[in-house]
Amino acid sequence: MVKVMTDLLTSQPLPDSHKSFSGPCISFERVGLRFGNTTILEDINFNVENGTIHCLIGPNGGGKTCLARSLLGQMPHTGRITINWPAGKVIGYVPQLLDFDHTLPITVDDFMAMICQDHPAFFGLKKKHHDAVTRSLAAVGMESLRKRQMGQLSGGERQRVLFAQALLPSPDLLILDEPMTGLDEVGSSLFEDMLIKLKNNGVTIFWIHHDLKQVKKMADFVTCVNRKILFSGSPADVLTADRILNVLSREQAFPVNL
Amino acid sequence: MTAVYEFIRLQVQQWALAGIAPESFKYSFVINSILCSFLIGPVLGGIGTLVVTKRLAFFSQAIGQAALTGVAIGIMLGEPYTSPYASMFGFCILFGLFMNFTKNRTKMSSDTLIGVFLSISLAIGACILLYVTAKVNIHVLDNILFGSILTVNDTDMNVLLIISFVCVLLGLPCYNRMILASFNPSLAHVRGVKVCFLDYLFILMITVITVASVKIIGAVLVEALILIPAASARNLSKSMKGFFVYSIIFATLSCVIGVIVPMELEIPVPSGGAVILVASCFFFATTIVKMLGERTRCTKKIR
Repeated sequence: MVKVMTDLLTSQPLPDSHKSFSGPCISFERVGLRFGNTTILEDINFNVENGTIHCLIGPNGGGKTCLARSLLGQMPHTGRITINWPAGKVIGYVPQLLDFDHTLPITVDDFMAMICQDHPAFFGLKKKHHDAVTRSLAAVGMESLRKRQMGQLSGGERQRVLFAQALLPSPDLLILDEPMTGLDEVGSSLFEDMLIKLKNNGVTIFWIHHDLKQVKKMADFVTCVNRKILFSGSPADVLTADRILNVLSREQAFPVNL
Repeated sequence: MTAVYEFIRLQVQQWALAGIAPESFKYSFVINSILCSFLIGPVLGGIGTLVVTKRLAFFSQAIGQAALTGVAIGIMLGEPYTSPYASMFGFCILFGLFMNFTKNRTKMSSDTLIGVFLSISLAIGACILLYVTAKVNIHVLDNILFGSILTVNDTDMNVLLIISFVCVLLGLPCYNRMILASFNPSLAHVRGVKVCFLDYLFILMITVITVASVKIIGAVLVEALILIPAASARNLSKSMKGFFVYSIIFATLSCVIGVIVPMELEIPVPSGGAVILVASCFFFATTIVKMLGERTRCTKKIR
């Protein structure tokens, strides 16, 4: 027990994270999104506090990814999304997957080079980025596989690389789109540790997720979206048994009085 | 530029007379085509890695076929039939941009869309060609369709030089971004990549280099020289560096060998055909190497 305590006290902050409580707070006000006659999202109102882990849950096709992409400014949404940046404005984004030909000869290092420099990736990773890339790959336990081709990695390993790129440069806001898909047990607990460290460094984390057990364990706040907001609040309050049942059974109309 | 070309030609011709270079190098058209090969090879080989990575092989094929229609339009409008550049550039650029615009707007699957556009351009080309061939001998078209080193002149070399320069200048700084945009547009956008703009820029690049290479490789076969060296390089390489370097080497060697060998052996084949056949040899050789490599890896695993 004592050992655990000292471990926690001496635990190193993340690579090149020197900021404290730099994460933004975000407010969604009457956000809506329509494609033609289909309403994807309507009347979305909630806030994301700075320096918290905020999980977004909901059935597939309920508009979670669309909401995240609206936040990233990639969707023509209505209403207003305000991001209040106290310090830096770096967004880290972990996408669900990479769409690429798995036989391509692109190594992990090549991919990281593509992410952080304009200098063509085939000339190799530049010296000035080398240390930062090494640190962020080490943080997700992928340093030893950096010469491996992206296509030869397992799904979970590829997710770790995608996580590593979101740490470069050190983010203030981290947006994760179901990053645990295909992740193994070790990777999953590694992710949890990383997220807690980031949160302790003041990073705001907006996390689309479907593993409710993990949400209950990790999240400070949780919002459930299926076209509209079904419920929103701290996991202990809002994740009640019958609500969970409804999320899982993809119940459409779900009248909740918040 | 003409003075530079003239200087190089005189120099090489002297070598040929002195017996240092092969005898055929005393003809200036041979030197022209070799010079072009050294330009086309690296540029097409490099762009090829992007085309393969972005999975746009079929797309670039369609643009190559559009060059044929461009030629037909050019001759109809009265451009010189050996170099109807204005019509080729004009039609191919419009065609490429319009195809990409439609793809972005309709969200149609790209193979369907490209198939439709390719057929349309071929149909237009076929109709105009029939009309045009009433006026000119159809065999002059062979030069444009399949390449002919005999007709390469200083204008062609200037066009190729400028276009290659522009492609390198635009392509190198945008290389990473173009690939990232195809891997995950959302991630690319977060990383500050102008996804849509680069998409159009890349299509412009493929289009202009295709048109500029038509004289050597021929309208129908240019895309093969973009695709095949990159595909061969992929068989051998384990990283981006190898992929890029091998692709350039294969493309350049294919061009040079494809131009020189038929000339030395006095085989009357179009240069484009010869170049692509050489490139295909590289492709099959590397495929065999890859297959053997995988087999040994499998047997090692079993043991």
